[in-house]
Amino acid sequence: MKYQYWLSNIKGVGSQTIKKLLKFSGTAEALYAMRKEQIEKIAGIEMHTAAAIAESRKNWKPDEAYEKLTERGIKFISWEMEQYPKRFRTIANPPYSIYVKGKLPDERKNSVAIVGARMSSDYGRVMALRLGKALAERGVSIISGMARGIDTYGHCGAINGGGETFAVFGCGIDICYPESNHNLYNKILESGGLISEYPPGQKPLPQLFPARNRMISAFSDTIIVIEAKERSGSLITADFALEQGKDIYAVPGRTTDALSRGCNNLIRQGAGIITDVESFLEDLGLPAEKASSQENLKHLSLEKEEELVYSCVDLRPRSMEELAFRTGLKAQVLADILPVLMQKDLIIETFQNYYVRSS
Amino acid sequence: MYSVVLTAMIQGIKSVPVSVEADVSDGLPLFEMVGFLASEVKEAKERVRTALRNIGFTLPPKRITINVLPANIRKNGSGFDLPVALAILAAVGIIPKEAIADSLVIGEVSLNGEIKPVSGILPVVAGAKEKGIKACIVPGKNAAEARLVKQMRIYAVDSLTEVIHILNGGDYVEKDEKVNREKRTELQPDFSEIHGQKVLKRACETAACGMHNLLIIGPPGAGKTMAAMRMPGILPPLDEEEQMELSKIYSVCGRFESRVHLMEERPFRCPHHTVTAQGLSGGGRIPGPGEVSLAHKGILFLDELPEFQQSALEILRQPMEEGTVRIVRVGGTCEYPADFMLIAAMNPCKCGYFPDIERCRCTASSMERYINRISQPLLDRIDLCTFAPQIKFEELTETAKEETSEQIRARVILAHERQRYRFRNENFRYNSQIPSQKIAEFCRLNDKQEKNMEQIFHRFHLTARSYHKILKAARTIADMDGSDKIENRHLNEAVCYRNINRHFWERK
Repeated sequence: MKYQYWLSNIKGVGSQTIKKLLKFSGTAEALYAMRKEQIEKIAGIEMHTAAAIAESRKNWKPDEAYEKLTERGIKFISWEMEQYPKRFRTIANPPYSIYVKGKLPDERKNSVAIVGARMSSDYGRVMALRLGKALAERGVSIISGMARGIDTYGHCGAINGGGETFAVFGCGIDICYPESNHNLYNKILESGGLISEYPPGQKPLPQLFPARNRMISAFSDTIIVIEAKERSGSLITADFALEQGKDIYAVPGRTTDALSRGCNNLIRQGAGIITDVESFLEDLGLPAEKASSQENLKHLSLEKEEELVYSCVDLRPRSMEELAFRTGLKAQVLADILPVLMQKDLIIETFQNYYVRSS
Repeated sequence: MYSVVLTAMIQGIKSVPVSVEADVSDGLPLFEMVGFLASEVKEAKERVRTALRNIGFTLPPKRITINVLPANIRKNGSGFDLPVALAILAAVGIIPKEAIADSLVIGEVSLNGEIKPVSGILPVVAGAKEKGIKACIVPGKNAAEARLVKQMRIYAVDSLTEVIHILNGGDYVEKDEKVNREKRTELQPDFSEIHGQKVLKRACETAACGMHNLLIIGPPGAGKTMAAMRMPGILPPLDEEEQMELSKIYSVCGRFESRVHLMEERPFRCPHHTVTAQGLSGGGRIPGPGEVSLAHKGILFLDELPEFQQSALEILRQPMEEGTVRIVRVGGTCEYPADFMLIAAMNPCKCGYFPDIERCRCTASSMERYINRISQPLLDRIDLCTFAPQIKFEELTETAKEETSEQIRARVILAHERQRYRFRNENFRYNSQIPSQKIAEFCRLNDKQEKNMEQIFHRFHLTARSYHKILKAARTIADMDGSDKIENRHLNEAVCYRNINRHFWERK
C-alpha cells in the first residue's frame, strides 16, 4: 500500500504511465526496488520519466509518508485494492488511485450527479436545491464537484433532504475550493465524503477540473445538468456520461437565456427533460408522492393579500418595487407581508429586497 | 498713549474675544506686533501703515507696540487689520478712546484704506451680543450678515476715513443694501417628480421620520440620487436655533455670501467619492469645517459608497455617534457641529446589474472585492437599507398622481412631534438615537411581538446589533402609523429594510 502511495505521488507520472509500469513490474513494491536502468527499458517509458521515478525515491520514506496520510484521516485507495470503486474499473482512463475523506458512495445505492454553471441564476439554484432534496429524501446519493453555483446548491439540497452527498475535487481533498464553501466542506463530511484522484496538497489548477468530471459521471447512474452556457464544463461531464453510458437529464430554460443554452442543446440532442421534480422521480422509478401537497396546505392558509403577493413572486427574483407594482399594494402593506411569507418558507430573499419562490 | 480695541477670532464656530492693545511711546521708531500671531496677522503691520498713509495719516516716528491678547491662543484670520488701525489711531489721539470702548471691531484693510469683508461675521457678532457688547463695526459687505443678530447696533463701514468720521462724532449713514430682501425662492426638487419607486419613497420617509441613516442599493439610473436630493424637502423646517447654528458654520467658511436671512433650508451635501478624510471631517493647518459640518442638520449623501477611500469613511464614525466632529491640529483644536443624516448609495456590484444574472458580468471575486470595500463599522451605523431597481416603462408612464414633498413632510412633522413628546425627558430627540440601554424602555414589545421577534431573530440570523436596529426602525414605523405600541406589522416592515447581508453577494 505504502509503495502504491509512493507511486501515485511522483511528479509527471500519471495513471496511464503507472499502468504501463505495473504491467512490467507487477507490483509497486517491485518497481520501488528496480534500478533506474531497468525502468528505462520498460516499453513506452521515457528517459525523463525514469529519472523522475529514481529521483522521487531519494526523499521518500514509504512508511513514514503513508503513516502521515492515515493520521490525517485520509484514505488511500488504489486499483489493486478491494475497496476501489467498481464503477471506475469499467471506464476509459480510470485513475490509478484515489484519496477519500469520509466515505465512498454506497455502490448498491442509486446515485445522481447534479452539475451546472458556477454563475447560476436563482432559478437554477432553486432547481438544484429541489432536485437535490427530493432525491436525497428517497435515499439517492448526490454527487457533484462542490464548485460555486449549481454544484453547491445540489450538495445543499441533499444535506437538507438528510441524504448522503459526495464531492469530487479537482484539487487535493485537504484544500477547500472555493474557500467560501468551508461550511459545506464540513457538512458533506458529516454524512458523505470527499474524493479526489490528486494527492493532498495539490492546488486547484484549471487543467485538472475537466478530468475530475469523468469521475463525477463515473460515480453516478444519472447526470442532471442545471444551467450551462453553450461552452460549459458541465457539458464535459455530460460528454463523459455519454461515453460511460449514463443517463443524462437537463433542466430546460428560456431559449433566450445564455445560461440555459447548453441545457436546451442537450435536450435537443436527446437528453431527458426535467419538467418537474415528480415526473423526474417517476422516470428514475422512485416513489413520487406529491411532496407539494404539504406546500399547498401552507399555501391555502394564506390570507387574501398574502396569496396575492405569493402569486406575484416567481422563480426568477423580483424586486420589492416590482412586486409593489404588480400587486398594486402600498409599500408598507407589502413590507408587512413579505417577512410573513419568508417565515412560512414560501419565499426567499435572495438579495436585498429581491424575492424568489422557495423550493 | 495706550489704547485697546475689542475684536474676536473664530475657533470652530465659536467666537473667542480678543483685545488689540496699542502703545505709542518715545524711543527709536519701530512698529512691532506681538502676541502669538499667524503670519497673516503679522502682515497687518504693513497694510495698516500703508493704508493710514494713503488716507493722509502718517504714523509718528515713535515706538509703536501692538499686543494681541490673550497670548495663549494662536491668532489667525484676516479680521485684525481694522482693530490694529483703530488701536493706533486711538493711541495717537486721532479718534477718542471712549468712542471705541464698548464696540467690537473686525475687518480687513486694503492699501488704499478700503475695508474688505471677512468670513465668520455671524458667529463674531452673535458672540459679541452674548458678551454684552452693544455695537459692532464690521465691513460694509458683511452688513447683511451682521444684522441677522437682533438687538445689536451695527456700523457697516467701507473705508478707514468713514470709520474715523463716525468715531469722531460724525453721522453714520445707513447704507442702502443692494441685495434683494426677498426670500430666496429657488425651485426645490420635489418627490412628486419621481415616478414609481414606492418602496424607495417609503424607505426615505421612514428615514426622515426617525432620522435614520439610509443605504440605497440600485443599478445606475434607478433614481438613487434623485431621491436623496429630495430628502431635505421632506424634513421639518429648521427652528431658529438650528438656523443660527447652521448659518454660523457657513459664515465661518465664507459661504454665507450675501444672504439676508438665516439659512432656512436644510443643506444637501454630496461630496465626490475622491474626497479626502480631511475634506469630509474638516481640517487644514488652521482647521475649517468639512463636508460633515456643512451637512449639519441636513443630508450628507455619499454616492458610490464603495468608491470612497477607506480612511475617509472611517472618519464618519465619530461624528455619526456624537453629532460633532473634533479636529486637532497644530493651529488649535476645534469642534464643529456635524449632526447630519447619512444617505449612502451604491451599485449592487461593479457593473451595476446584479442580481440580474443575465446582464451582470462580474465574477465572484470582483463582487467580493467590491463589497469588502465598505467597512462594517460604517454599515453598523446605518439603520435602513433598501433596493431601488430600474423602473419599468409602464411605471414611468403611469399617470397616477405622485405625492408631493409637502404632503410627505406633513406626516414627517407629526412623527417628529410624537418623538419629541416621548423623549421630552431625554437628551436625545429621535428614534435613531435611542441608546441601546434604553431600547427595552422605548421599544417595548408584548408577548405576541416578542415571539414574532424571536422567530425573526432566528430566521434572519440577526445579531444583537441588527436586532436593535430593527426595533428602532419599527418604533419609527409605528410612529408613522400613529401607534404607541409596536405591532407585528411594524416589525415586519422594519425587517424588510434591515441592513444588507454580505451573504447576498457570496452566492454568486
